[in-house]
Amino acid sequence: MILARMAYGNIFLHKAKSVLLGTIMCAGIAILFVGNSLIDTAIGGLRRMFVEGYTGDVMVTGPTSFPTTIFGETAGGEEVIPHIAKFSSYVERFTSDEDVAAALPMLSGQVAMGLGEQVIGRGSAFGVDIADYRSFFSGNLTLAEGSWPAEGGQSWIIISEVSAAMLSRAAGKTIGPGEKIILSALGDTAGTVIREVKVAGIVKFNQSSQELARISLVDADTMRDLLGFASLRDGTVELTPEQQAFVSDFDPDSLFGEGAATGLFAEDAETAAAVPALPAASTATTATAATTASPEPAWQFILIKLAPKANARRCIADLQAFAKGMEQDDHVQDWIAGAGSVARTAVTIRFVFYLMVTIVAVVVIMITMNVLVVSISERVPEIGTLRALGARKRFIRRMILLETSFLAVIAGLAGLVLGLAILLILRKSGIKAPNLFFEAIFAGRKLVPVISPMAGFNAFLWIFATSILSSLYPIALALRIKPVVAMQGE
Amino acid sequence: MDSQNQFVVQLKDVHKSYALGETKVHALQGVAFDIQKGDFVSIAGPSGSGKTTVLNLIGCVDIATSGDVTVLGQRTGELGDEKLTALRHRGLGFIFQTFNLIPVLNIRENVELPALLDGSDIGMPKKEQAEWVDHLIESVGLADRMRHKPAELSGGQRQRIAIARALVMRPPIVLADEPTANLDSATGESILALMKRMNREFGTTFIFSTHDQGIVDIADHVIRLKDGRVTENRRAEPKAAS
Repeated sequence: MILARMAYGNIFLHKAKSVLLGTIMCAGIAILFVGNSLIDTAIGGLRRMFVEGYTGDVMVTGPTSFPTTIFGETAGGEEVIPHIAKFSSYVERFTSDEDVAAALPMLSGQVAMGLGEQVIGRGSAFGVDIADYRSFFSGNLTLAEGSWPAEGGQSWIIISEVSAAMLSRAAGKTIGPGEKIILSALGDTAGTVIREVKVAGIVKFNQSSQELARISLVDADTMRDLLGFASLRDGTVELTPEQQAFVSDFDPDSLFGEGAATGLFAEDAETAAAVPALPAASTATTATAATTASPEPAWQFILIKLAPKANARRCIADLQAFAKGMEQDDHVQDWIAGAGSVARTAVTIRFVFYLMVTIVAVVVIMITMNVLVVSISERVPEIGTLRALGARKRFIRRMILLETSFLAVIAGLAGLVLGLAILLILRKSGIKAPNLFFEAIFAGRKLVPVISPMAGFNAFLWIFATSILSSLYPIALALRIKPVVAMQGE
Repeated sequence: MDSQNQFVVQLKDVHKSYALGETKVHALQGVAFDIQKGDFVSIAGPSGSGKTTVLNLIGCVDIATSGDVTVLGQRTGELGDEKLTALRHRGLGFIFQTFNLIPVLNIRENVELPALLDGSDIGMPKKEQAEWVDHLIESVGLADRMRHKPAELSGGQRQRIAIARALVMRPPIVLADEPTANLDSATGESILALMKRMNREFGTTFIFSTHDQGIVDIADHVIRLKDGRVTENRRAEPKAAS
């Protein structure tokens, strides 16, 4: 009790010191509180957008050596993400896994869209089963025009409102439901694969950014063809009567003419005979046909929504172990890796913020320490007197720690109030994204910060720890003060 | 009780040297004397004679370079910091030249402070302890100032509070380093009179240093120092064995 009285009294007795340290601590807590809340809001918004609209909580991908984005990009530079070979084993596991609320298989790649021979756009396309996709991301899709494609129907594509506008502009005419467009894969792993698809509908992605608003949904088998998984389709190829007739009447020799054996293609023909240079899809077809009568359909991704209380990290570790147990190099990752550069940038910004906070904390520690050292040197007779009267060293240690703690608590509360006021003002006005980069980071055009009690608590804890750290050296100095100084006068 | 056991302080051939830059200062050179329980002792001498050094050694805030200093039966040179602190806390009261009251505490808290350090107590129930503190403050004539801060008191009043604080743990010995140096002569005399009264009332041994010949005579045991040596060790009247 007497310690508390002395500590409390000393804060008011040494006003200049208290005001200086209090201001630093107050500002520190306010900055941390506001900064953490803004970053938490941005990352929370991104997380909500991606998890609920595009990636799920956890993703399993085919074997890649690096994280893979939902757009089909890998940090390792693979042209096409391999498919998950033991897809059905995962499905079987998920049925009995309480952590998994839902799972969705998917394919992803970059495609060019054309009208006749004219390329009118390009972008990311997801190969999906539309019923499953709509069920998995139920809140993210609104049909603006057309209709949802029927199961097992023709090849289809669903384009977004943004894509429809862009494609229409490039084509010089309205691209809408019923229009047939040509898709071709970007990249050459699958060889040149071209597919004609019919625009089934135009959708609006309710949660989107510039990049996400241009995603197209394509039927899974068309996407398999485009990515080079033609042999791993889910259904059989259905040809129109014209296509049937073309295949039946097709004579490969007619391409080369009579002089082919001795003419221009003679050397190529010999080389082809010596080194089979078939497209990946053909190779896969041959290999699969030789080993499996009914191959599993190819899926590159399994998106997983976790049960409310499930732990994502544990789930990732468990699934990674499950893959290894099956001797598969499948990659299991969280939504941040799946979201790609936007989420990584936000996480990097948070890291940079913490780094800056750490640097500022070191400076604050130095300033606080110096002020406390000066304060101790001014109080040598007082500390000497306490020691002479019989105060043990631990009493002196506690006294200084309590003083610093009191100051941290008072300044901390003031800082929290200040931070709260700033956040309330920002909530009222919102922070407009100055450019597309920030629009992506903010997961929208405006960032309306969420007041996070945890951010406030963490800021308080951070400053409290900083102030305690700052007092360690001054305490060491105070403990060196000998009681004899009390006899030397004030 | 034999006379040996009545000595609360014994100094035997005590030397104390300080390094002052490259010069070695011999503050005490073979000082020896005994102080009996209940003595009202004056350590007198001019500035630089070694008075404060002697008080520092008796007060266990400093250690002799050589020789023996025994306080309340304990040779201080053999004690570590913890034991010296405990000896100061339980065995000694201090009255400083500059009062050394804690500015943030009020008068009552200042007096009670030694009894509150590290949860120590005087060995009596809380209510009795509170009454004892009040009694001490009343004894020094400042009962009406209990809730005041030291800054609101005169020098004489502060020194009275320092005397009350020195007695709160009921120590066998109270040390006072030039207790009247910062006071006018009338206040100084009243402080010494108060100390003398406490000495008689509580049987506490008072040892005070002074360079003022006028107040040396109030003591019943005078130890005079010059250049770090005892030049006079005189008792005004022999103590009766208790």
